[in-house]
Amino acid sequence: MLSTRVIACLDVHNGRTVKGINFINLKDAGDPVEQARQYSLIGADEICFLDISATNEKRRTMFNVISKTAESCFVPLTVGGGVNNLKDFRELLNSGADKVSINSSAVYNPNFIRESSDKFGNQCVVLAIDAIENKKLPCGYEVTTHGGRKKTNIDVLKWAKQGVKNGAGEILLTSMNSDGTKKGYNLKLTKLIAKNVSVPVIASGGAGSPRDMVDVVLQAGASAVLAASIFHYGIHSISSVKKEMLKNGIQVRDCEN
Amino acid sequence: MNLVIIDYGSGNLRSVENAFKNTVAVNNLNFKIIVTNNLSIISKADHLILPGVGSFPDCKKGLLKIIGLLDLLTNQVLNKRKKFLGICVGMQLMVDYSLEKKRTSGFGWLDGCFKKLKKNGLDYLGRSYKIPHIGWNNLQIEDRNHPIFDNINEKEQYYFVHSYALESKSTNEILANTIYNQRIPAIIGKDNYIGVQFHPEKSGNSGQKFIYNWLKWKP
Repeated sequence: MLSTRVIACLDVHNGRTVKGINFINLKDAGDPVEQARQYSLIGADEICFLDISATNEKRRTMFNVISKTAESCFVPLTVGGGVNNLKDFRELLNSGADKVSINSSAVYNPNFIRESSDKFGNQCVVLAIDAIENKKLPCGYEVTTHGGRKKTNIDVLKWAKQGVKNGAGEILLTSMNSDGTKKGYNLKLTKLIAKNVSVPVIASGGAGSPRDMVDVVLQAGASAVLAASIFHYGIHSISSVKKEMLKNGIQVRDCEN
Repeated sequence: MNLVIIDYGSGNLRSVENAFKNTVAVNNLNFKIIVTNNLSIISKADHLILPGVGSFPDCKKGLLKIIGLLDLLTNQVLNKRKKFLGICVGMQLMVDYSLEKKRTSGFGWLDGCFKKLKKNGLDYLGRSYKIPHIGWNNLQIEDRNHPIFDNINEKEQYYFVHSYALESKSTNEILANTIYNQRIPAIIGKDNYIGVQFHPEKSGNSGQKFIYNWLKWKP
């Protein structure tokens, strides 16, 4: 049976991890390569790098991070943050990334999703949506860019459907209202998108406990759960999340194998 | 032993190379791994790996762009009986044809065709079946005696990402299945050639075990 995925997300700035992880025996808590490796060893089903420096000039640093990570980390790697051209997309894949997530650049260049999925296949194109509540829009949520700072007046549900039509193979859905609160994922938003698109939806933003991950799968239909800080600070481990999921009847990958 | 990963402009060559190099290093095996599209190097290889991501027609097109590669591959695998592994679209290319986008012929080494995954119905948690089939899934081993399954149990999971599945009448060519709304052939093969729908290079320790078994396999 297909496992529900638990994805660890690393925020990377100029080649360094922003939030340190308290792994035992970790010599350099700011090294994303070493952290990704640790995560893969303790059972993360996927690693997601978010490049928050995200300028085209600094992209090279990220190519190196991916390339080094891919040498010793044999789980799927997703990279996102400011990728806005096919050349960088290709270079990330060549460095060892399996998927690239596209966020703001899809808003400013609506053809980018189509162009990249035509070129590299929809399996490696992830549409990242940063959603914020806006009651004036039909679905109640608005697409934002630049980490939630810029509003677009685009309806999230419409945007998600269009993205899938254009070839996105997966949606990484972040609730900007829940992000950082540790009060749980936005179930209403996640359910709305998961119910209405044909591709897997990864829930993101707000995870504070293993129970939150169970809820977003059982109540909102998420195909995967992503979290950053609850893993980083060692509050909850990947295995405690998986134990809780299993206890609630959600199939997960056994990390022991 | 020379092991060639065929570079035909498609795929996560780097990841495949990394994963095989790691298995070789960790187990102290004697393999030289080369990534190339050079026909004379390919013809001298002992073992061949054909990766592939993206769409079936694009991969086929990429392969045909390298003049002589398809004939060479067929000769190396079917006549010279060199050990072969096709990964994901590399596996899909081994059969008669695929219906992805348009009907495109494969190598015809194995029976069957690729059709879009079925999306009707709900999973055990009431979620609709999403396409692509992305994530870690188990194998139902059909040919337990095959050396490719040494030390591999059905609890282990492998990383899949695909939207098309093989339909084949030759059940003896299906070595393992996986289940996602339907029975999906996960490992197919005959004689000296094997194809896998999942990505062993991205399947953690279970993937490393599979790669080790394939490297040690003497068809």
